[in-house]
Amino acid sequence: MKLTDKLIKAVDKKLERFDPLWQSEHGVGGLRSRYYDKTGVAKYREWRGVKDTFYDYSQWLKNLMSMGMMVGSAPMACLKGFWEYRWMGSYLGTFMFIDRLFEGYRGYELRIAHMNMHAIVQSLTKKIALVLANDRRFGGGPLTDRMVPMDEVLPPLFMAGFKDLIPIPLQTLPEFIICDIDQHIEPYYIDVAESYGLPADVCSRCAAETGVTIDDAFPIFGKGFLSTNMPCNASEATSMFQRRRVNLPYQPVTMAMIHNEPGAHPYSTQELKNAIAFIEKEYGVKYDWNALFERAKHMNEQNTIELEKWDYFKTPYSALVGIAETLYRLYSWASVNGQEDYFTKTDRKVIALMRKAYEEKYRPFAGKTRHRAFLWGPSAVYYTDFPTWIQNCWGINIVLNMDSTMGHNMISTTDPEQAIKDLALFSEKGVMRHHAVGGWDNVNAVWEWAKNFNCDMVLCNDNVACKGMNGVHALLEEQARDLGFHFIFIEHDLEDSRTVSRQDMRKCVNNYMSVVLNEQPLDPTIVEFDDSAAY
Amino acid sequence: MKDLKHLIYFENLLQEAHNELVTKAVAEGKHALGYNCYYIPETLLNLPGCFSSRLRAPRCVSTDIASYYMTTRNCPYVRSILERAIEGGYNYLEALFGAEGCAAMERMEEHFVLIHPVKNEKFFSTIIDPPMKGDENNLNYYKAQLKLKVVDKLRDELGVDVSDEAMLKAIEDHNEISSLITQMGDMRKLDNPPITGYEFHVIQLVSQVCPHYLIKPYLEETLEELKTREPEPKFPFRARVALVGSEIDDPDFTKLIESCGAMVVADRYCFGSFPSREQIEILPGEGPFDAICRHYLHWNQCARFMDGDKIDQRHSEVLRLVKDFKADGVIYENMKFCEFWSYEKVLANHIFTNELHIPCCTIEKEYALGAAGQLRTRFQAFIESLEIKSIQGGK
Amino acid sequence: MKKVMKFVLKLLGKLAVVGLVTFLVTFTIYMTNAENKIIYYVVRPLLNKHYDSQVRDRRI
Repeated sequence: MKLTDKLIKAVDKKLERFDPLWQSEHGVGGLRSRYYDKTGVAKYREWRGVKDTFYDYSQWLKNLMSMGMMVGSAPMACLKGFWEYRWMGSYLGTFMFIDRLFEGYRGYELRIAHMNMHAIVQSLTKKIALVLANDRRFGGGPLTDRMVPMDEVLPPLFMAGFKDLIPIPLQTLPEFIICDIDQHIEPYYIDVAESYGLPADVCSRCAAETGVTIDDAFPIFGKGFLSTNMPCNASEATSMFQRRRVNLPYQPVTMAMIHNEPGAHPYSTQELKNAIAFIEKEYGVKYDWNALFERAKHMNEQNTIELEKWDYFKTPYSALVGIAETLYRLYSWASVNGQEDYFTKTDRKVIALMRKAYEEKYRPFAGKTRHRAFLWGPSAVYYTDFPTWIQNCWGINIVLNMDSTMGHNMISTTDPEQAIKDLALFSEKGVMRHHAVGGWDNVNAVWEWAKNFNCDMVLCNDNVACKGMNGVHALLEEQARDLGFHFIFIEHDLEDSRTVSRQDMRKCVNNYMSVVLNEQPLDPTIVEFDDSAAY
Repeated sequence: MKDLKHLIYFENLLQEAHNELVTKAVAEGKHALGYNCYYIPETLLNLPGCFSSRLRAPRCVSTDIASYYMTTRNCPYVRSILERAIEGGYNYLEALFGAEGCAAMERMEEHFVLIHPVKNEKFFSTIIDPPMKGDENNLNYYKAQLKLKVVDKLRDELGVDVSDEAMLKAIEDHNEISSLITQMGDMRKLDNPPITGYEFHVIQLVSQVCPHYLIKPYLEETLEELKTREPEPKFPFRARVALVGSEIDDPDFTKLIESCGAMVVADRYCFGSFPSREQIEILPGEGPFDAICRHYLHWNQCARFMDGDKIDQRHSEVLRLVKDFKADGVIYENMKFCEFWSYEKVLANHIFTNELHIPCCTIEKEYALGAAGQLRTRFQAFIESLEIKSIQGGK
Repeated sequence: MKKVMKFVLKLLGKLAVVGLVTFLVTFTIYMTNAENKIIYYVVRPLLNKHYDSQVRDRRI
């Protein structure tokens, strides 16, 4: 053993009592001990041992630098953005968000988690700076007319054929990602929408989108707006409001809803072609298939790596776990969609580490996993760290999440006609579309997924306002019973933490684990706690 | 006004989905074909040898079993239909043609296959993926879906004649019954109509839930009766309203509004005559099937349409009805838990009230008329405001 | 040559001091969670006050 290793070991031994995992093992505290009540503000950062603490610190610095670069690249625009948009203030909670996500992470899983997280941070900060620097509300910028506002659930890869244009998922910054970071931001916008007569029983995510629209809180840019019918009814309905408020030439890209049929694809293909024609007309540019092929190569590589990751997910030795997998795949697929090199590079690094961890037979979370779960149904956006909690509290490893199985077919990089067909299929299998809508077969596929990934448990997100998933409630329960899976419905209200709080969500799991499975928590300090005032 | 001769008979026909005329048609060997949504052209379900039956769940008071399947947080219309199916209320059906008009509807229709509530050996069901825009690509998709999942299925599963001649006959049948209903409905344009909104609602509903060939003689007789029916000496209502919204298949809802003092002069909702009773025209060079598809896509006013033209059409069509039927205001209804109409009513309320300056009232209701007291209060207040406006000369 | 070496060593020394101070400051902020405490207890309440007082162009 090297001297430094000996030294680190000695320090680790000396300071182990500050490690919350050690504390919970020895009954003297745990992950919740270092928090001020309710707030989610930690008194001090998690002590993970010398190596992991310093690694976490280095990543904190790296993310801090990304944020510094964001402000540095467009200082006035960023200041104006903070002043103008309520949702911008919520981005200040990013560090707390990252800390929450990776509580209890050590070793390989911590390294991979941070690699993935930094990819998101560097991408998001650039996007924020770009959008604010070109926001017409602040006088616009050189790229204002080259940016294309798009519905965030329309996969933007097909837009790569417009090499001089920049597709921007319109709702991502003010509504989706920010709700991950701050559970209190969207209720404000939901209230705005409801004050105009929108009932409280519609999907809260769409209500929030509508609130952002009514509250005039979208950045303003572009010359034409692409909306979509994805993923579901309420999301379609919100477009009526956005069409009026965005007030640009408007093209809804309506992909087939029941898409598991041969007849659906020619229709969806034509929809994409029409969208391309619309952009050509409104922006006066020509579609460049070679530009598309270049980015499609990246998406293909990312999907190839993703499929290899799946092989590791099937084993107990996957170092990519829980939210580190879920959030990254969701962002890299739905928002980036092959358009940023950084994600391909990250994937290469991550898969290399996963291979290494697998060869070493490395078990994440010190091998404390008791159950392997497949997560199905749309997740609560306001409780992004739920997979972290469920692992730390009950040893339930969320092996794969529904959203991670989105479009993984390869896109042709040589033949335009084939490429657009591939893109149609790829887009039809976008966020939620592959699973929660489009027919029972898509939902019912969960058991096959769970079986293939060696899961003994299925966790089903039960968005109280999701009419589609509510519509198969009993069928899912009956299937779980028949097929012998542990099955938990986790009630939530997607973006409104007031209806179903995070603690209410935890209670669904706690009840099942203690009453049905008669198990003891790994860390008793996080079974029940109040984080209602936390971001 | 003197009572309509067949009104009580019509009301009785609405007490069960499996009513007297349905039983008769089934006994005569006709294929009973169910549907829920305007996206499924009624005309195609009235090909020779078939009859359409738009599904209702009259007198449904409890949806316990359906709520077990679909939770209590879902559309009460679809839960009521599923409940009625589980109770055996649709065992006369040989097929259900569904449309993914909304997620709740689609899930309910899936249960018709997954839990086999319809005890009929011949029963089968399909669900189309309906279009969300009115353009050419969507029309072609609509045609392809209807051909694959309705027309070909009728031919292959039930041996129904789906030739152009048969389609022409179905169009003829549609136009005949639509003409009867439209003539009666147009009487509501008069200053003092010889028909009430409630009566018209009952008549329109029986035309949707009964075999056309059996209900038509009664409708013809009723039309003749209405032509000579003496209205009340003075218009008995304090205001005229257009009723807009989703599934309203309970005439008592119309009766509730009218009992508050406003006549429902136009019915633009899913079970109403706008749309459903327009004449199908065959354009030069067009086949009958194509004409049916074009017609239904054009007239469809569903709140799920996303393209600008169809969104605007929804509002311009209501505006047309307000003008043609001299409505003083509009009542927008949405079924509880309906995503589409929840949004549409917010937008429409804004457009009518603030941009078109037409008084508008929005309400949310259950399928079974439970909270009538609250609704009555809302309607009374709205009608009072219309009356005051009218007294003040529209100011 | 000696002068250059001296300068380089001096520079490296200065860089090391700056680096050490930067490390100590940032690591202290990191470990004490200082930035999050300031954001949560000071910055966001002020920003929220500002957001709550905004008059927004609310319309459909």
